[in-house]
This record gives sequence, C-alpha cells and structure tokens, in this order.
Amino acid sequence: MGDDLRFEGTRVAVEAGDTVASALYRSGVRTFTRSLKYHRRRGPYCLTGDCPNCLVNVDGEPGVRACTTVASPGQVVRREAGWPSPDHDLLNVTDHLHPLMPVSFYSKTFIRPRSAWRWAERVIRRATGIGRLPMGRAPRLRPATTLHADVLVVGGGVAGLAAAAEAASDGRRVVVVDEGRLGEKPWDPVTIERIESLAASARAAGAEILERHTAVGLYEGPFVPVVGPDETLHVEAGRVIAATGAVEAHAVFPGNDLPGVFLARGAARLAGRHGVAPGRRAALVTTTDEGASTASVLRDAGMEVEAIEGSVVAAEGRRRVRAVVVDTVTGPRRIACDTLVLSLGWAPRDALLRMGTDDEVLGAGDVVIPGCSIEAAEESGRRAARGQTDPPVDAPIVPFASDGYVCLCEDVSLHDLERSWAEGWRSSEILKRYTTTTMGPCQGAVCGRLLASFAGARADAVATRGTRTTARPPARPLALEDLAAGVDEVIERRTSLHERHLELGGRPIHSGAWMRPSTFGDVREEIRSVRERVGLMDVGTLAKFLVAGRDAEELLDRILPTRVRGLAPGRSRYAIVLSEAGYVVDDGLIAALGDGRFFLCTTSGGAASMEAWLRDRIDRWALHAHLLDQTSELGAILVAGPTARSVLERLTEDDVSATTLPHMAHARITVAGVRCRALRVGFVGELGFELHHPRSRGPELYDALLEAGRTEGVQPFGLDALDVLRLEKGHIYLGQDTLPDDHPEKLGLSWAVDGDKEDFVGKHALERMFAIPPERKLVGLRIEGAPARGIPLSSGGRVVGRVTSAARSDAVGATVGLGWLRGNDGTFPTDLRAGDAVARVVPTPFYDPEGERLRV
Amino acid sequence: MSETDRRVGVVTACAGANALDALVVPGRATPCRIAEDELLLICEPDLAREIAREVETRLTVVDGDALVRDTTDAWAAVAIDDAHAGRTFARLSRLPLPDRGFLQGEVAHVPAKVLVDGDGVLVLVPSALEDHVRSRVAAAGEDIP
Repeated sequence: MGDDLRFEGTRVAVEAGDTVASALYRSGVRTFTRSLKYHRRRGPYCLTGDCPNCLVNVDGEPGVRACTTVASPGQVVRREAGWPSPDHDLLNVTDHLHPLMPVSFYSKTFIRPRSAWRWAERVIRRATGIGRLPMGRAPRLRPATTLHADVLVVGGGVAGLAAAAEAASDGRRVVVVDEGRLGEKPWDPVTIERIESLAASARAAGAEILERHTAVGLYEGPFVPVVGPDETLHVEAGRVIAATGAVEAHAVFPGNDLPGVFLARGAARLAGRHGVAPGRRAALVTTTDEGASTASVLRDAGMEVEAIEGSVVAAEGRRRVRAVVVDTVTGPRRIACDTLVLSLGWAPRDALLRMGTDDEVLGAGDVVIPGCSIEAAEESGRRAARGQTDPPVDAPIVPFASDGYVCLCEDVSLHDLERSWAEGWRSSEILKRYTTTTMGPCQGAVCGRLLASFAGARADAVATRGTRTTARPPARPLALEDLAAGVDEVIERRTSLHERHLELGGRPIHSGAWMRPSTFGDVREEIRSVRERVGLMDVGTLAKFLVAGRDAEELLDRILPTRVRGLAPGRSRYAIVLSEAGYVVDDGLIAALGDGRFFLCTTSGGAASMEAWLRDRIDRWALHAHLLDQTSELGAILVAGPTARSVLERLTEDDVSATTLPHMAHARITVAGVRCRALRVGFVGELGFELHHPRSRGPELYDALLEAGRTEGVQPFGLDALDVLRLEKGHIYLGQDTLPDDHPEKLGLSWAVDGDKEDFVGKHALERMFAIPPERKLVGLRIEGAPARGIPLSSGGRVVGRVTSAARSDAVGATVGLGWLRGNDGTFPTDLRAGDAVARVVPTPFYDPEGERLRV
Repeated sequence: MSETDRRVGVVTACAGANALDALVVPGRATPCRIAEDELLLICEPDLAREIAREVETRLTVVDGDALVRDTTDAWAAVAIDDAHAGRTFARLSRLPLPDRGFLQGEVAHVPAKVLVDGDGVLVLVPSALEDHVRSRVAAAGEDIP
C-alpha cells in the first residue's frame, strides 16, 4: 500500500503517470469541488489545467489543479468546498435561490444598516470560496533567479519545440518552459513521438528545456516570471514565442457544468493516457476532425460512444449527467448517457500574446492557428523562430443555448449576463467588473471569448464594447509564496570601513541596500563632537560617477537644472536632478575636474538609477561622453567640525586652507599617504572635507584620521547623528521629506534651478508648474513638544499636512522639524498643531542661517 | 569550501566601439567586452596601472575621448576553483557556464562578470558586495564533497 495517496481518510492507488485527478477518478470520485456561489457539483472538465473544476487541497496547499498535478505516494488530498462535505453540501440550497442572489447581490444588499454588513460579510465569506488559506503554516522560502535568454519559448508542444530547435540551431540562447512534462498532454502516439524527437533536436542544438515551469505573465521588456517547482525565474528575453496551444471551446447550455461533461481532449487524455474511462456510455458531440479519434480512444477504454453532429440543447442530471438533448439536422434527440464529450472547436490560450506587443511576443501553433495539424504547428514554430508569425485566426464561438454557465470560476450564467446587460452594463470590460466573469482562477481562458462574444452581439453600435477584456498577469494560477519568491534574500552592501565600525562599537543597520552604523553609542555626543570639535563619518555609500568625453559638459548641462558650463576646474556646485515631469528625483554635487571631466556625486540609494538615467541620455542624444560608476571603486570619509582642518593638516602637506580650498572647492591632496579628492562640502553645517579615496585604502585612512584627531576629541558618528545635524541645517532627505511629485519650488529649492538656462530636463514642466502657486510645500517647523515623525499637522481642527522629519536640537534649543503643508492659492497656515503639540512655521536653516561656519 | 581569495587587477576602458574593436590588447591582460563602448581588462594586480597607461596610449590615438582607468578597487574577485566549480556555480546562477571564456549576468542575485579558464571560475562583483558573494559561494559549495 506504499503507492497510495491519502484522500479524506481513504487510500487511493496511484499508478505510473497518474495525476491527482486521474487517480481520484479511477477510485470513483466524481465530485471534486463545489462551485463558488451556488455550490453546484463540479468534476473534471478540461483536464488541461484551464478550468477551475478540479481544484483540491494537496498536502495543505489549497486551490491545486488536480488534473495537472502529478500524483505521488503519501500525498494527502482533500476537497475543500461544501458543508458539511462536498458530497452532501447543504449550502447547495443557494442553487435554488437564484432570484434572491442576482449578480453582485452582495453589493446591493446588506448595505443598510451599515452594521449589518459586518455580519453578512462573515457569512458570505464562509459560504463561498474554493479553499482556505493555510494559516499558521510556515511559508516555503523560494529563491528568485534571473535568467537571460535570446528566445524564451513558452509551451513545449510541437510548435514550441520546433521553434526552440530552429532558434537554437542559429546559436541563440533558447529556453523552453512548459507547465507540465513534455508530451504528457497528448494521447496519440504520433504527436508524442514528434514531441520527443523535436525535444531531442532542441536539446542537441543547445536549448534549455525546463519542465514543470509555468510562465505566469508577460511584462515590458519582455520580462516573464516563470514559476518552477522549487524556484521562481525572472526571465529577461530578447523575444518570447508563445506556443501555449488552445483549449477546447466551452459551450453554454443548461447543465454544462455537471460532472460527466468533458471537453474531448480531457476525456481522451483520461482514457488514453491514464487508462481511466470517463464513464460507461458517452454522447460525443463534435464539429471537429478530432471527434473521430476521440471516439476511438474512448471505445478502446471500454466505453460505448455515440458520436453526434449538432448542438447541445441541455445536459440533464442532478449529481452527474444522465442524458443529453442534442439539436441535430433531423431534429432534437434525447440520448441517455453518463458522459457528455464536447469537441466543438478551439479557444486559443492567448493570454501571453495579448499581454505583449508584436515586437516582444510571437505566437506559434494552436495559439494562432487553432486546431492545426502537427505539420502546420511545426512549420508555424519554425517561422516564429525566424521572426515571422501567423496572424491569429479568430476561432468561431459555439452558439449559446438558452442558459448555462459562462464563467465556471465565478458561477456566472448566461442569464446573469443578460440581466446585467439589461441593467445597463453594456461592454465586455464593464460586464467583467460587474459580474466578475473572467476574474477567477482561469483568468478568462475558458470564458473570455464568450464574454466578448456576448457583448459584441449586443453592442453593434459600439464595436469596442465587444472586444476581449485586457489580459493581465497572472495568466495561470500561482501561490502567494510564488509571488514572494526572493523576498527573503537580503543583499548587504558594505563599505571598506564596515569592520572598523564594528570594532568601534558601531551599530550597523540596513540603510537602503547598505549596511551603515546608526550610532557608535551616544548620539548626542556624536552631534556635539561635530558641532564643537570634529567628527568622522563614512560616506562611501554615496553614488559617484566620473563623466568624461568631449560632450561631458553638454551632457550634464542638458541634464541638470544648474549651470555646469563655466564651472571652473576645482569648483563644485550643488545640483538637483529632475525628471521630465519636473519632479526632484535626486540631488548631489557636481565637481569640475578639468580636461572636460566631471565628478558627479549623488545620494546613496540612487546609484543604479542615476547610472541608467545618464547612460540613457548619452545614447538618446548621441553624445560623445563616457560614464564610469565609481561608487564601488572609491570610499569617502567626511571630516567635519570646527577643528577638521587642524586634524587634516597633521596628515597632509598639501594646502587645505580656506584660501586654497574654500567652501565648495575641491582638490587632489594626499592624506596619510593616501591620494584623495577632497571636497569642501557642508551637509552637516560645519567646516567639512569629504575625502574620496581608493576603497582599498579606506581603513588605513580612517585609522590615521582617528589617531590624528585624538587630541581634538575626534568622534565617529552615524546616521542618527547625521539625521539631526542635517535637519538643523534644513537639508532634506529625498524620499523621507519628499513626495514623488515634488518640484523644486515645493521643496524650497528654486534657487537650485537656473531659469536662464536655455534647456534642461524638466524645464518645460517646471515653467508650467511655476506659473501657478504650489498647493503644497515643505516648511521648517518649530515644535513645542517631543519630536515625532509622520504625525499629522493640523490647523483649525483640519489636517493640513504631515511632519516628515523632527528632532530635538541641542544647538537650536528646541524641537525642530520639516513637514509638508497644503495651502490655498499660495497661502499656507502658520499656526499649527503637530499631533498634540503647538507648532510654528519658521524659516530654515535652524542652525547657522548665514552659513558662516561652513566658510571658515 | 570551494571559494578562495584571488586578487586580480582590473582596468576599465571606455571608448568608441571602433576604437575598442581595433585595440591590440596587451598580452598580460584578458579582455572582457562588457558593452559596445566598454572593455574590462583582467590582469595581475601589480600590472593594472601599467596596462591602463598602455591601453590609454593606444586608444587615444583612435579615440581622443577614451577613458581608461585602473578600477581594481571597484571589483572583488571570488574564485571557485576546485573540481566541483561547475556544480557550485550552478547553485548560484542560471548562467550557462562555458568551458572557457567570459560572460556576465546575475550570480547570487547580484550583477557579476564571470571568467572561466583552466583554473576554474572567477566571479567579479562590485567590491561592496564581496562579503555577500563570498558567503553565498561558501554556502553553495558546503555540502559538495
């Protein structure tokens, strides 16, 4: 009995090649789940992973598609919907209450009194749904890995493998992903043999084939997340070929969701691959060439099969199909049977195709030529590999009967759609939102085309009303833990002084991607050392770029709102960086090095985006400029405080006097034998030297500075002290004190914009925005109370803003802060409350407003 | 443990594509073209400055804007050089490891340059990520005998 899986207290034999669905079906299970709202019985229908009719709980994981999940000994399987059990579900009473539960009934009822909703929601939540989240279970931590490919082929059928073999033979890096095992879906030996042969060719040509890997969406890039058994891949591909096939057409007629109704390939797969007859007597309603082969497979499995051409009027039965009424050329016929098999055409699995552009994704095989032959699929795949694609064939829709379920996931019937249409919801997009059709686990794979057809047939005046709804990821169901893949992977960037910080008692914290000391033990003492003596801070995390080439000056002048042209070698200037929309995205310092070279230093968190931004501009404007990211190459130590120069003079023979190296100047100097670029800057509001040095020399430079400053009482300081020091000077932290749509005027940074410049990125947007008073601005605050960040600012009882930074300042003798305020026609309230404390708007800087201490 | 410390020198050369195409690379350096207009030259650490000067002299003849620098400090080199280097590497990256050559992509979730030669696999990552990559490489090779 070791080869059994456990199913609700019983043992179910597992045979080689079984899926959970085939094993359960063989054991006699017919009701796999209950429908979402009406608790109708549901059993295997498509057996290709497209419909929601066989969702079960496997080993504690809810919502697992039994038809595509490999059965394995020891698995614990149970059904989830239905009370008290799926076989005897009392909640099925809702199936008789349709008139009381129209579409969106929960939006129309229980809304008065409002308190009733609390209880109603609880009841509705318990009564509906197709599974329960496994609360309390430790999540599996799944890694996320990036994979680059020239060509990503989604789908390992004939078309996909032909495309892969062709593309790989050209020397391109090709990756094939398939949500199952290759060749497990077809049942006919010819197709299986061709798949094996093409897979061998593709592998021999160098293609990588990943089975049980599901592509769940397609994003700009193209970028395709692929969920595998043990990992999530982030595939960045030059081109995607969607060879995702087609699902057989879903037909709408009364009883179309009864257990015993099968799509033909599903029934054939059950019989032909797993040796399980779907029933004893089948009515096979067919309009396709595949009908005959399906009938043959079913007969081989021991079934009595009657093949009929016509349209289904209704399927009858309570627990499962007992008879079917078919409209044939000779008139309606009622056929007694326990299985209804439908082979009525195709619905392309085109979600990925519809998520991307033609440049990003090409279709191959059934997805563009539904129902095509093996030869046609193979040729289609090879064409796709060469960058050609077949225009998608619009497969015909099976005409609707009198009623029946259009959306199996959300229990939406044809009658529901008609009623919604009558209420005025008259386009496929709006019907989708109102009825939730296509919003279930299948994401419209089964019902999307039917919804569009329904709306299109009625909205003849407005053609767009009948178009397919927008395709969005996920194209296939996925677990929440798949979405969270990689979040546990913490990547720490460390400066060369990391070990020194630890030795000195620094307490490292994550500051963006960097590990930085928050403090060395006494924040107030660290602040005092900078204000009264000298402090050292590791600022090696700053983004640093060398910009060179004959167009370097033009590049920076066109990007930055400050004037770069004319900046003398040895001088530097504060600069903000604007987006095209005029919003502040970064700030920093631009230093002219001479020979047309510049050193650009921006905030610690923005190195990657700044590099991408600069490279994009160089390419777009076709400039002769080179960019070298020196963030990793250079360390930087800030020596700041009234005695900073004295400390430095002990370690250098170069002239660092205010005359030679004034505020905002820079120079190459040698400090303790280490060649540095010394920048005279003042983020903390004191005499300061930022020493940019080769990273490998950082520890010896730091040690030398500590030793040389011993007599001055030098003190390393961390982020907590910096937060107060910069706040006292009114300097902002981008991201903390700003919002994504802050332009310079809102932040009080208009002075950093040279309006006389002919052009720069964001100039036109700024001109429009500066023409009207800002509705919001960042202000300095003096708060009569304890500092608290994030609390609301109110005036006259109305919330008018928020405190973004606040700290108790010993230097100012008060609690100071920054916060944004909403105004009216350029007028802003001045008497405020920050939480419970009185607050006043005051000018910044709070400390040394004239900047005299910087310029010594 | 399959990860070892291996010091390398790195020279970065930025120049027009034509200039880089025409560059005669000094024999003491291994060229790794990382972009149309950017080339890394891997060499012994002591040779980096000398090679940078040599390459700058050659490149500026063709492209006056060429930028060449010794960027050794920007990179940390982590060598995976035992008999199971391929297996260890496969646990860290989906990059297809060639028998010999250069490739770039993601290793241990960070951007990396990878050199494969007769001695094994050399992974170059930004210096700030050295500890991260070392720890991941060590963990990946831990249970490989």
